[in-house]
Amino acid sequence: MSKPHAIIIGAGFTGTATAHDLALRGFDVTVIERGDLCNGTSGRTHGLLHSGGRYAVKDQESAIECIDENNILRKIVPQVIEPNGGLFIALNESDLQYGEAFIEGCEACHIPLEELKPGEALRLEPNINPKLLTAFLIPDGTFDPLRLALSFAATAKKNGAKFRTYTEVKSLIVDGKGNVVGVNVMDRRLNKSQEWRADIVVNATGAWAGEITEMAGAHVPVKPTPGVMVAYEQRFIQRAINRLNKPGDGDIVLPQRRMVVVGTTSFEIDNLDYVPVLENHAKLMLERGAELIPAIANAKMRGKYMATRPLIGAGEGRSAARTFKCYDHKETDNVDGLVTITGGKATTLRAMAEKTADVVCSKLGIKAACMTKEVPLISYRRYYTMPN
Amino acid sequence: METQRNRPSPSKFWSWFFPVGRQTGGWAYVLNRVTALGLTFYLYLHLIILSKLAQGPSAYDDFLAFIHNPVYTFGELLVVAAAFLHGFNGIRIVLTTFGVSVTRQKQLFYGLMFIAIIIILIFGIRMFTA
Amino acid sequence: MSETKWNIILKIYRQKENEAPHYSEYKMEVDPDEYVLDAVERVWAFMDRSLCFRHACHHSTCGACGMRVNGVEKLTCITYIRDVTQDGATLKVEPLRNFPVISDLAVDMGSLYCRMDSVGARPVLPVTEAEIENPSNKWNPEDAKYIRLSDCIECGLCISACPSAATSSGYLGPAVLAGAQANGLKHDPALLELVDSEDGVWRCHSAFECTAVCPSFVDPARRIMNLRTQIVSERLSRLFRRKS
Repeated sequence: MSKPHAIIIGAGFTGTATAHDLALRGFDVTVIERGDLCNGTSGRTHGLLHSGGRYAVKDQESAIECIDENNILRKIVPQVIEPNGGLFIALNESDLQYGEAFIEGCEACHIPLEELKPGEALRLEPNINPKLLTAFLIPDGTFDPLRLALSFAATAKKNGAKFRTYTEVKSLIVDGKGNVVGVNVMDRRLNKSQEWRADIVVNATGAWAGEITEMAGAHVPVKPTPGVMVAYEQRFIQRAINRLNKPGDGDIVLPQRRMVVVGTTSFEIDNLDYVPVLENHAKLMLERGAELIPAIANAKMRGKYMATRPLIGAGEGRSAARTFKCYDHKETDNVDGLVTITGGKATTLRAMAEKTADVVCSKLGIKAACMTKEVPLISYRRYYTMPN
Repeated sequence: METQRNRPSPSKFWSWFFPVGRQTGGWAYVLNRVTALGLTFYLYLHLIILSKLAQGPSAYDDFLAFIHNPVYTFGELLVVAAAFLHGFNGIRIVLTTFGVSVTRQKQLFYGLMFIAIIIILIFGIRMFTA
Repeated sequence: MSETKWNIILKIYRQKENEAPHYSEYKMEVDPDEYVLDAVERVWAFMDRSLCFRHACHHSTCGACGMRVNGVEKLTCITYIRDVTQDGATLKVEPLRNFPVISDLAVDMGSLYCRMDSVGARPVLPVTEAEIENPSNKWNPEDAKYIRLSDCIECGLCISACPSAATSSGYLGPAVLAGAQANGLKHDPALLELVDSEDGVWRCHSAFECTAVCPSFVDPARRIMNLRTQIVSERLSRLFRRKS
């Protein structure tokens, strides 16, 4: 019997990780991406390798996913991670109060944490606000967004996955029963239409997931929610610095190469393909960033940008759960042949892929175990150097 | 899927002289190529002139008398200028190769060119007043 | 962001496999404090869906959006429109040179990544080995546990700007030689043979264009010069070792 053929739409974090997982499970994988890798949300991710601390109080399901995946990613793809840890710092009474719930939450989620006195924290990170009241050291990290996805893509490619970049899905091919059997694409390098068939189509388009499912008359409750980030031209810190409070605007500062990046905000939009960087949001990042690291107030801006999170389910903006969900549209809309994976965040990309591949395998009646927890990923450069 | 147009190729030597977007080091690079071509051209010219000697002393003396005018003197000055500009530019390359003034290569270039121009001026004055 | 808007013409290099290269012009209203990449992205979003270009992080950490803006290599995500053109003017955007064009502004940088691997250039460096020359970026050197992503973002701007790379396809190129220098010849003796060759450090003719366009302050030219010094001293010491 020939290999089952899976088409994955979207080569962001979820798409590349799913390609890696399915390739390991013996699928013939084709990834379709309308631009180059990570041109949407994934490339513009803040870059925080979550320890789960941020979600330990309100969203423990996400927090546990984060700490588990954090440990796995450190093992399988160390080449794109700065495992320097992170600090949650308290600057006022309200932060201190939140601290109690934070300790409980982290313990419940098995997130290792160590409380530091202000002096100890300042010794580790001399540039943080010296008025801090307390600090917690947790195993956060930072990653290089594009290169994380490229590492998954490279390994998938080594295992036979094909990447069709600059190829946009125009419509889904639907059989007489309303089931999805392939995709109609436009090769943007040639301005030429093509038709590809597959045993299963995986919609890994994140914030754009709704646009794809609509083509088959199916529905996903994804709410695109962009946030603004601002990079400054000096590396003030070596660890991820978080405000010890419930998630809010501009409460994370990350080191990235010679920069620090402050993020992020949360707003709603109409057009997904171009989201302007709101000036008042960028200003807010400066103010909030300077609360955590005073020197940011006088630092030179390197760049401001935004990324659109694919939030799912009920809840507005910050209150929405940050977990992910895989939809088998046979169950939700009686459309067979189409699976959508969306929600989640960069840190949990491997788990999202595992879940999706599980759903795909059970739909096609294939028995193959997930191996992605163990298989180390190859150099991201190999994605570009291997023939397609 | 890829085009040959944008690949590196020896036929693209013309881009060595392309001026758009150059900065100091780039202009030094252009200057070195132009002066090198000029000096090479002069080398052959020089050999042709020397070949006049083969036609006997009088042919050579006539030729020397013929080129004794300001236009040819200016031509000779150009050769001198090319030699000094190229030579001092070469000193920049040697120095930077051995780690001297690498981060200040622009200042080094301007400094050396300043010296070269002074020398060229001295030569010019002497050649036209002699 | 400024209140005034500029009207500019974005003149973009276009090339599909089955058609001759040409330039397309797009009249658009821009904010001078936007980045060039924002304008290019808007052309794709609202004016011409067939435009191909690479981009990912939008803040100079991924190196995908390198293009030639008015003939000069720029990382378009951090290049203000204000700095490269003026109201009413034409802004020319072209793909990087010296790499094969995939389509329009997107180029195939496979050769660069291949060579970066061949010299063992590492994406993440232990902090003790990482060079930091800008004193404002100092950190506590006693804490050797820190690891950082290296400065070079492999954007290819230096290869595009280099006049030597234009004529010799075998030249390793500034980024790669900088990667070799960061590794150091002492750490990896095999590197010596690779960089001490016709297509290695001696192909550089000191135009310093690489350093001028580098968006990450890697200073490839200085690193090439340093490699030359290392090579000469290594060759000399080998010579004397053989004699004694």
